[in-house]
Amino acid sequence: MAEKEKTYPAPGPPLDISDDDIFAAMAEIPGYLDITPDDFKEVYLLALRHAVNRLRRSLKAKDVMTRDVAWVSPDTPLAEVAELMARREVSGVPVVAQGKVVGIISEKDFLSRMGAEEIKNFMSVVAQCLKEKGCKALPIRGQTAGDIMAAPAVTVAEDTLVADIARIFNEKKINRAPVIDARGRLTGIVARGDIVRLSSLP
Amino acid sequence: MSELGNYFRKMRGGAKSPPRVGLGEMAWSFLGALVGISLLAYINYHLLRGTGLVLILGSFGASALLIYGAIKTPFAQPRNLVGGHILSALIGVTAYKLIPGHLWLASGLAVAASIAAMHATRTAHPPGSATALIAVMGDEKITGLGYFYAVMPVGAGVLILLAVALIINNISKTRRYPESWF
Repeated sequence: MAEKEKTYPAPGPPLDISDDDIFAAMAEIPGYLDITPDDFKEVYLLALRHAVNRLRRSLKAKDVMTRDVAWVSPDTPLAEVAELMARREVSGVPVVAQGKVVGIISEKDFLSRMGAEEIKNFMSVVAQCLKEKGCKALPIRGQTAGDIMAAPAVTVAEDTLVADIARIFNEKKINRAPVIDARGRLTGIVARGDIVRLSSLP
Repeated sequence: MSELGNYFRKMRGGAKSPPRVGLGEMAWSFLGALVGISLLAYINYHLLRGTGLVLILGSFGASALLIYGAIKTPFAQPRNLVGGHILSALIGVTAYKLIPGHLWLASGLAVAASIAAMHATRTAHPPGSATALIAVMGDEKITGLGYFYAVMPVGAGVLILLAVALIINNISKTRRYPESWF
């Protein structure tokens, strides 16, 4: 997926600034600087952490979202939906009708309709498949995206702060949210992974 | 045991000391100090002769290094120069008046209290502590001034030094003084 090559607007400068770098910089500034290179380095590293945190707090959906979104229509057969999700290696896709996001389908929506018994996750499907003969996708064969999608979908705006998106994910217990522009058109999707990845920045 | 080792290890230092300044900085420092201190000394030794008034003080020599030779440091900013000296002068005179019979204790208290007070008021200026000490250990010409010591030589002296710093330190394109007033 495209998100693997994604870059963020808040990449930190290298953290391992050397004492020689600082010494050289201090020598370039005319006048006597009343600080040792070591003290400067400490100030620099602490300031850098503040800067990264400040930038991270100001990141918006449009900064971290995947723009090349896989999406389906309400009348897309579920077999095609499943194929698309498999091919794009995603666990959920928005459902779009007349340019508007009308719902969202995730693996959970498939699972919860695949068996007679209550199905909680993928392993309960595996368990049923192994215990009984044949697998349980049958109940939803012939249905379309519109039949099983969760609607309405929880969407966010391009300017929604990443911090707010994380809160929405937790409150609504969801893992992704389509991003829509001012006219309601789908412009991207933010998934849990996009937010987790931010925490691995310096 | 390792705590003790750590204690002594801290004494090794190990941080790199800052680079040497350029020739230009040395020249401007020299000029500023020459003008500032000579001016005070001329007034002190010629214009004020016979008046009993004093305008020059040993601690001004130390201030000269900061306000003409290390003009970026917080120690050298006007708030610190003026506030540090005057506050310390008042503290020094007070220490002398409170414990005149025990100059050793008055000396220690004057310097210690001036450091703490300058920190508390964000006016730390190292020569200020010398100003506090001189208020106790000075000759009768100084100690006889009482609190007027804070006005002259201290107050008047630092204002003249500051005026010279503003004039000299801003001539060069690469120098700027002050960084901040307050």
